[in-house]
This record gives sequence, C-alpha cells and structure tokens, in this order.
Amino acid sequence: KIFHLGACRVSMSMTEIRAGFSAIKANIQSRDPLRSLSILSHPHSLHKVKVGDRCCITHHLFTFYVDKVFKHCRTEDSFVNRKISSIANSFLSARRKLGQCREQNNCVCGEESTEKFKQILANYEGLNVTSAAMKSLGELDILLDWMEKAR
Amino acid sequence: GDALLPAPQSISILSINMKHFLTWSPVIVQGATVRYSVEFQGEYERDYANGSWIPISECSRTAATVCNLTEDISASVAYRLRVRAELGATRSPWGTMEGFFNRATTSLTPPLLRVLADGQHLLVELADMGPALQFRLLYWRKGHEGRVQQKVMREVSSVVHLDTMEAGAEYCVTAQTHVEAIDRSSSFSPTQCVRAQGDPSVWL
Repeated sequence: KIFHLGACRVSMSMTEIRAGFSAIKANIQSRDPLRSLSILSHPHSLHKVKVGDRCCITHHLFTFYVDKVFKHCRTEDSFVNRKISSIANSFLSARRKLGQCREQNNCVCGEESTEKFKQILANYEGLNVTSAAMKSLGELDILLDWMEKAR
Repeated sequence: GDALLPAPQSISILSINMKHFLTWSPVIVQGATVRYSVEFQGEYERDYANGSWIPISECSRTAATVCNLTEDISASVAYRLRVRAELGATRSPWGTMEGFFNRATTSLTPPLLRVLADGQHLLVELADMGPALQFRLLYWRKGHEGRVQQKVMREVSSVVHLDTMEAGAEYCVTAQTHVEAIDRSSSFSPTQCVRAQGDPSVWL
C-alpha cells in the first residue's frame, strides 16, 4: 500500500504487518495489566497530528518502536517471538524508506507534534521497561489504524 | 561431545514466487537418524537485538533436510540462516548459510493460465500461486494489437470473465505475476488465443 504522509509517499507491506500483529495481539495485550493507561493516545489521540507533520512523526514513531519497543518484548513463546521479529524487520524496512523520504522532502515536526512525541516518550518512561514495551506493542494497531486513515 | 557431529553443509535457499525453503546436505551417521534445527536472524536481530537468532519450531529436531521459511521471512530485509545437526544429546556446530537472503530476490514465474471461449465470452482460468502474488492480464483482439486491455487481479477465483468477444473473432491473452511487497513482476506467459463462436459479421 502507498501511504501519503505529509509530503512523503511511502509504500509498505501493511497486510503482512497487520497479519503478524493480529496473530499475537491477544497474547501481547494479556501481558499488559494496566489496560486503562495508553502510551500512544494519552492525553491526545494521534489523529490530532497535522497532515504536514505526519511524515516526521511517523518516522519518529517507527524509530521509537525499533529502538525502544521490540527488543524488550522477547517472550517464552517461540511463535510470538517469530511474529515480533517479522513485524520488527518490516518496521526496519519501512523506516528506511521513511528516513530517505524525510531527508528528500525536509519533513520537520511542528511544535504540536514534537510535543505529542515527547508525551509518548514520557508515557513510556513512566513504566518499567518491559511493561512499557509490551503495552506499546499491544497498541500497535492504534498506530496502524492512524496510518491507514492517512492513506 | 559436540565435535563428533559435523555441521550440515551445502546450505542454500530455494525461493520461488515468494515461497522460501532452506535446504542442506544430510549428515550421515550409520544406523542412526540425524535430526536438524534451523534458526534465522533478520536485520533487526543483527542490528538491534544483540545479534540474536530465532528458532523455527516447525524445523526444530526435524529429520528432513528442508525447512519452509516463508512465514518467517516476511520483510524485505537481509536475513541470515543457520542449521545444526542433532543426534540424541550430541549437537553439531552451527552451519551458517553463506551470505544473506532478501526476499526481493525471489524467482518469479509467469502464471499458469488457460484461456477459454465460452460462446462469445473470453474466460481465463488461473492457478492460485499464494497470497503474496497478484496477476496482470493483457488481452486484445487479434489484429488489433494497438488496443491491448489490462486487468489486474489480486485474488484468484477459478474462472475469470475477461471480455465479451465479437462473433467469430480471435482474441489473445498473456499474463504476468506481480508482487507488490517487493514491487517486481515475472516475465509474461506464452500468448494464448481463442476464437469466439458465431460467424464474423459481414458488412454489405
């Protein structure tokens, strides 16, 4: 699928990422005891991000997942680990395209989006790392839904 | 100890139409069944997860010398693969495939299709080649090569209606497979032509 993220047009195998996540979503979310708390949507939803800022914040979010989330989600379940690897490698591939596009188009984050991303990091740092990583992974569909809405 | 069992050799990937299989030569131990375990490492594991390897449960302690990697190699990044032999508690060193594998290098073959004329209906039967593949069909009336029409199919149903033909006219079809995830296409299939039923209309 082609995603229109502000000035960027990026193709991504969203179907494969969605399939991988759907296969483990229940398992991952069952490991998150604090369901009322959100990392991506607190206090404001991603949907408030301005169109022009989408490219920049998507790149930030992919970097967040690659650098901070996936590595702390290793489980005792081989099937879950394999699906997390599949998603992580897809994110790596997509982030590379996003990074190239950001450079070419000089996508910068506006003030509001920078603040939004800082809030996400603060939400993440507010929990112990494993809980924060599992919660973030469990919220992956929030990010995917927001991106699909942006298509 | 482990040193008695040699690592598997001739480790290679056979990848056709986005289906990926790891194969290796058997380790022969007279009178015994040697088993094998396979692991993979994507770019993410290499660069962000301390070079960790992930076991493939379907290919853990398998007696086969082939392992289906399709489900696990589901991103367009460079993967490394390794396999070791196991006999009871004895394990061989890992045999690691030389170089990397990226699914973007998969071999793509043209689709298997059969073109039919059902009266004046131009129909095509396509073999299902898996979820990752789409088909691009080109069709035209013979002699009107300048007016080629195209149809892209994401899902395969058994028979597809392409067009309603002019009575007695001949129509031709060719097709290629396309993989959106790697943005590549196969070569085109051999052209097949059929003739519509009925007499060609004669203008006096």
